[in-house]
Amino acid sequence: MIHYSILIEQMANGLVLGAMYALVASGLTLIWGTMKMLNFAHGELYMLGGFGIYFGIVTLQLPIWLVVPLVVIGIFIFALVLEKTVVSPLLKRPGWDVSAVVATMGAGIFIQNFAFKMWGGDFRHVPYVVDGTMEFLGVRLAWHRIYILVMAVVVLVGFWQVMKRTRFGMAMRATSFDSETATLMGIPYRRIYTITFGLSACLAALAGTALAPIYSVNPWMGMAPLIKGFIVVILGGLGSFAGAIIGGFIIGLSESFSVLFLSSGWKDLVSFVLFIVILVIRPQGLLGKKEW
Amino acid sequence: MLEVKNLDVFYGDAQAIWDLSMTVSSGEMCTLVGANGGGKTTFLKTLCGLLEVRKGLIYLDEEDLISVNAEDRVAKGLAMVPEGRKIFENMTVQENLIIGAYSKRAWKRKDEQLEKTFDRFPRLRERRKQMGGTLSGGERQMLAIGRALMSDPKMLLLDEPSLGLAPKAVDHVMELIQSINNTGVTILLVEQNVNVALKIAQNGFVIESGRIVMHDKADTLMANDLVREAYLGL
Repeated sequence: MIHYSILIEQMANGLVLGAMYALVASGLTLIWGTMKMLNFAHGELYMLGGFGIYFGIVTLQLPIWLVVPLVVIGIFIFALVLEKTVVSPLLKRPGWDVSAVVATMGAGIFIQNFAFKMWGGDFRHVPYVVDGTMEFLGVRLAWHRIYILVMAVVVLVGFWQVMKRTRFGMAMRATSFDSETATLMGIPYRRIYTITFGLSACLAALAGTALAPIYSVNPWMGMAPLIKGFIVVILGGLGSFAGAIIGGFIIGLSESFSVLFLSSGWKDLVSFVLFIVILVIRPQGLLGKKEW
Repeated sequence: MLEVKNLDVFYGDAQAIWDLSMTVSSGEMCTLVGANGGGKTTFLKTLCGLLEVRKGLIYLDEEDLISVNAEDRVAKGLAMVPEGRKIFENMTVQENLIIGAYSKRAWKRKDEQLEKTFDRFPRLRERRKQMGGTLSGGERQMLAIGRALMSDPKMLLLDEPSLGLAPKAVDHVMELIQSINNTGVTILLVEQNVNVALKIAQNGFVIESGRIVMHDKADTLMANDLVREAYLGL
């Protein structure tokens, strides 16, 4: 019989993991939803978040509360430049669906190698954003994990509200539904694309800064979250923001519980099986619209 | 109000509009009629900036429109009700209306405009929380027109507003367009339904294969034998 405290601990771990998947995947789904493209450099933006926090804390010795916002702003600006120089010139040209994949993949390889040249291939350790642990119902939890969970929930809820209530958010939703009609409303959809790309990068970077202390930093750290992110996005329904969040928590919780009940080697198997089963039942994903 | 001179528009290498000239004066209700594939929608899209002009001039209130980006033409006072309504189905009725006031000047007055729109369309007020995708054809047309009016335009372009509507709903939409015109908005109504369009318009243009083949007072066109034969089936 498994003690309930372990159950709660794994539940908490699953929620933390799920929150991170949700953060990474919601960025991917945001880009798919508005621009109808897949961003294969998303994992590298996550990685830059990790290196950004390493660079800020270890190299520059800046306080953590300053580093996280600086990294997010820096990556936002970097992503705007990336969109303008790499993605935008290909936009709405023939072969757009494939060219965007190749172009972002190329940008990803470039960023990866840049990080390798700049910081080397060693695994870098980054200190926790919040030190120490707390006790809750007899379960010991690192404050850092609680920070991750709270941060992700606040960011995602905030984002939701922005999309629901603000002028920009409405323009984004209109653009995602039909960019031509959005133009007729006076919405500059190309600018909406650029900003959406930047915001999506911020979500990836935030996840990178949050997970860097747990997994340590290296140039290839973006691969796994990218693949998991795609799985979560497809599971939740391509282009659905709520789907990405729900999908993130489903995969996160399924992984942590399979570690508990089976062993850690089974976690990917369980999440992939779950993924396939859900797609067999609902090919469009949990909250996706039927497109075929 | 609107002045178009010697306009040529292409889809790739295929020319869709040939040497088109048109003048619509302020406060007028003008209609552009013709068969399917004649270039009506192409012409409206060109006015909105969605298609590039190869040759020719477009002026709105003596201001050159061609150099203005499509998304900035709304702020110049041009609003469009696209063919097939193009409601944002992922947004509520109220959000659809609000997004119509996206341009900077209109955004400041959006609450006031929203009230005005709801007063004009009580049905939309009832359904304001519903998703755009759940509306019926007639309601969608009202929403599309209401959305275009949210930007408080000087000139309203309507692309086939009668398409796919029941005869009763067509009458209702035409009355509505008439009443919008009565408030001082200049209207260019593009219609396949030549009969209803010529009935409410003052002036009419007939387009065929991308060329204007006739233009005159609407009642004169209505009485014209060629028009009667070709478009009215009389």
